[in-house]
Amino acid sequence: MNLNRRLFVGSLAAAVSGILPTLSFAQGKGTIAIITPSHDNPFFKAEADGAAAKATELGYEVMVLVHDDDANKQNELFDSAIAAGVKAIILDNAGADASVAAVQKAKDAGIPSFLIDREITATGVAVSQIVSNNYQGAQLGAEEFVKLMGEAGDYAELIGKESDTNAGIRSKGYHDVIDQYPDLKIVASQTANWSQTEAYTVMESMLQANPSIKGVISGNDTMAMGAWAALEAAGRTDVIVVGFDGSNDVRDSIIKGGIKATVLQPAYAQAQMAVSQADTFLASGATGVEEKQLMDCVLINADNASKLETFALSA
Amino acid sequence: MHRPLSVTLCLLVALALPGCKIVKTDTEGENAAAAAGEAGDDARIAALLDKTYDAELLPLIATNAMPVADLRTAIAGGLEAAGAAHGNKGSGEGAAWNFAVKGEGKVVEANLTSRARKAMLDTDGDGKTDLTLQLGPVIKGSSLRDVAPFYRFGDFRDQIEFAKLARALNDQASAALVVPEGELAGKTISFSGTVDLKAAGDAWLVTVVTLAVAP
Repeated sequence: MNLNRRLFVGSLAAAVSGILPTLSFAQGKGTIAIITPSHDNPFFKAEADGAAAKATELGYEVMVLVHDDDANKQNELFDSAIAAGVKAIILDNAGADASVAAVQKAKDAGIPSFLIDREITATGVAVSQIVSNNYQGAQLGAEEFVKLMGEAGDYAELIGKESDTNAGIRSKGYHDVIDQYPDLKIVASQTANWSQTEAYTVMESMLQANPSIKGVISGNDTMAMGAWAALEAAGRTDVIVVGFDGSNDVRDSIIKGGIKATVLQPAYAQAQMAVSQADTFLASGATGVEEKQLMDCVLINADNASKLETFALSA
Repeated sequence: MHRPLSVTLCLLVALALPGCKIVKTDTEGENAAAAAGEAGDDARIAALLDKTYDAELLPLIATNAMPVADLRTAIAGGLEAAGAAHGNKGSGEGAAWNFAVKGEGKVVEANLTSRARKAMLDTDGDGKTDLTLQLGPVIKGSSLRDVAPFYRFGDFRDQIEFAKLARALNDQASAALVVPEGELAGKTISFSGTVDLKAAGDAWLVTVVTLAVAP
């Protein structure tokens, strides 16, 4: 719906400016397309909001689109954006390999892409790749988890959606740390596809099969919320849960003494940074920074949870 | 890092010898032996460590290591300025400044029962802990990687390969440490290593590369 309205406005503007190029709003800086996974996950909404706010502030129109982690849909959205003549594309992509062709297509059409959150497997195609350092973030979460567990005990892992690069990266980051502690034993490991309701069901059956579970490490916050609800329902609030993303829901749970920790990816700031780099690039032909930029994640626990709001940590 | 070069070489060889069949053998160069993509990460990282750890990284730390007090003074004048003059910044926004550091101090407290063994050190004689030495086998962070300007994120396929480098460096350093049995508290330790700081006031967690305990 958003898509239709904005596309309509976009084409209307193009049509009007085609007839009357001197019309005042045609002097704007053009449109920036912002393409992310579904806004059902507040993390991606924060990204889109951050990018849109910065683009508007810098004098651009915005076209906000979602690909639902479907590379084919992403490809179609790129076609729409190219056809609409956008000046630049801000993208949280739908697959490290599958997205290369779409970004290349935009580049061939003279439209630069600025990637946020997830990286792609090729360089020299996008202008910027501002990558959330999920591996480093997962290590932070795992270090906290190990500490909370006292370096020993049975634990379970909830893994994200397999098609999402970051699901694998986070799991690897967790195990990189946890597997160095031989007294920490993984008794169950399963995907819950980033879903809160699925995590609830998965946690219920994990708990039934393994009542000895002392901790749960989760690939993201929505699954951590689902797991925590199942643990509460089973009267097992003694279980240590650690999530990933830094959502307001998990923040509130940490403050109430529920979930113990999460890891913040600065989604809002990262999206704004990408738009600023796009603006610099459009004005001067260069961003002045390297294509691949890592952005570190931050551990959130009871010490700093109160400073967290909409994927940003106040000083 | 050397993949593009070896690919180019293969291509050149292939172009120059169109009638030849390229047969992969175990005696090919170290880079050619590593499979592309994630499967070859371990071999590539091992080759990179062989090439750089003793020859470049340890000399860099030995040459640049500042005495604890000097580094503290420099940082008191501003982390950015101290970092630019004496350190190296990790890749990207929000990354820490990394410094090579050396010093000596009395162990205030030690935890040798954790898998991440630690010694808290008093280096200025006031009886209080002012830095923590990581004694392994589990080492946190990536300061061994990030202290070196020659390990650059852009040269690696992705964050996983880059993270594997940090882990391999930590493992190599920690394997070389000889931590004496028994109580460490009260003993004097001299060390060199690396420290990463995101803010001037951060507690110092030192990744140790050389360690000597006074008898």
